Amino acid sequence: MVLDFQYDELLLPYRNIINKRAGDVCYGYAIQIRYPSYRGTFVSCIEKLELQVDGKSIPESDMRFVLNGKEFLVSQLGELSKEHWFVLDTANIVVLRDNGLTEGNHEISVRMVHRIPYTGYFGQYLVLDSVNTKTLCCRNYIN
Amino acid sequence: MDKERIQLSASLYSLSSYYIKEIFSLEDCLREIRDYGFKGIEIVAAQMVPEYPNPSDKWLGEFKELLDKYELKPICYSAYIDYGIRSDRDLTEEEIIQFTLNDMIYAKKAGFPLVRTQHSISPAIYEKMIPHCERLDIKLAIEMHHPHHPRVDVWEKYIELMHTKGKGYLGVVPDFSIFQVRPHKLLVERLLKAGFRKEQLDRVLELHENKVPLNETLKLDLNALEKEFTESIYEKFNPTPIEELSTLIPVTPYIHGKFYYLENGEADECIPYDRILPEIKRLGYEGYIAAEYEGHHFNMDIDVPGQLRRYVSICSKYI
Repeated sequence: MVLDFQYDELLLPYRNIINKRAGDVCYGYAIQIRYPSYRGTFVSCIEKLELQVDGKSIPESDMRFVLNGKEFLVSQLGELSKEHWFVLDTANIVVLRDNGLTEGNHEISVRMVHRIPYTGYFGQYLVLDSVNTKTLCCRNYIN
Repeated sequence: MDKERIQLSASLYSLSSYYIKEIFSLEDCLREIRDYGFKGIEIVAAQMVPEYPNPSDKWLGEFKELLDKYELKPICYSAYIDYGIRSDRDLTEEEIIQFTLNDMIYAKKAGFPLVRTQHSISPAIYEKMIPHCERLDIKLAIEMHHPHHPRVDVWEKYIELMHTKGKGYLGVVPDFSIFQVRPHKLLVERLLKAGFRKEQLDRVLELHENKVPLNETLKLDLNALEKEFTESIYEKFNPTPIEELSTLIPVTPYIHGKFYYLENGEADECIPYDRILPEIKRLGYEGYIAAEYEGHHFNMDIDVPGQLRRYVSICSKYI
């Protein structure tokens, strides 16, 4: 059990969920997340990224990861060793879902399994399993 | 160096919790550090450089101007040996050399005389960095952090390089975590929160304090989790003798004054500053000791400005 590195609370900042539109079609919603650490990381260090919304797991194929103005599939994250995630920056998880989320509160849970890239000197990297659950509000902004 | 041979600087990393929670911006951190009485700073590039890993000349120049504005000296640019950034393989020796060289160039541009790297750089790579240090006229020092100490094999090789081929450019940054004698308050609180029963934990800490061997202490009525924690307490709070500083100080360009929680401005209950600082002075160290508060790993809600002021108060008694 790891007693230090207590940063999981950072994963989900208190920011509204925003419905996403393409023209007059609402195709999904975006949730903001931060990297749960005292320093930034390379996106390739994310070994797993899972999302539950109101108790329901979201399939990977319905998720996009948006950072540094670029959009990635979750299956691409492991390749992104040149994509740095600055510790104060938020990434967006965009979930594809017809009509987005209803206005009001939703229970959001994010799990990120992530490798600490400087810890491999004893043969194995420290891999942290960070989970954070919060009730966040969806606002029907046009975006 | 001004009048005093030993001066206090601070790692901006000390303010991690305030920075990450966006209570303090980078500039706020600098102003605060100056106000507490520190004369110089260390920056952990992967934490506070927004354009990391390749900051632009523009950003580095602006940062240098901020340091001038707050009359803080750039003391140390902290770099990582991130061997594990790729998913398919570890970085190669050549990649580590080039990334470390990059960090040295950025540090130089921002006016830092020293880059702190990590022990995992390896003696082979460390030796290959010497010509780069000479050409850029910048020091490259390795932090000695718990669980390392001067008698670890790899450190004997590093220290030899520091005395010979790398003299004047290579060095060690002793981190006072190697001298921790007992768990700090924030760790004790974490242990309790994780389920270590208070009565049992008090007993374990008492036996550890009285140097009762681990195998004896494990005979207490402890569950599996408590046993695991007890082992880690014994492993972690097994301090390097302070006398070992005589091996390190001759090759020390900079020191990490680690601390986790200070109850007051008089003494650190866990790291014996009252013995360490006089010894460092006696050994003739000239340079900066950087306050490196690390309680944020355990609790993000501590009054860190208060902690840093207490730190200045304690150190001022001895230097």
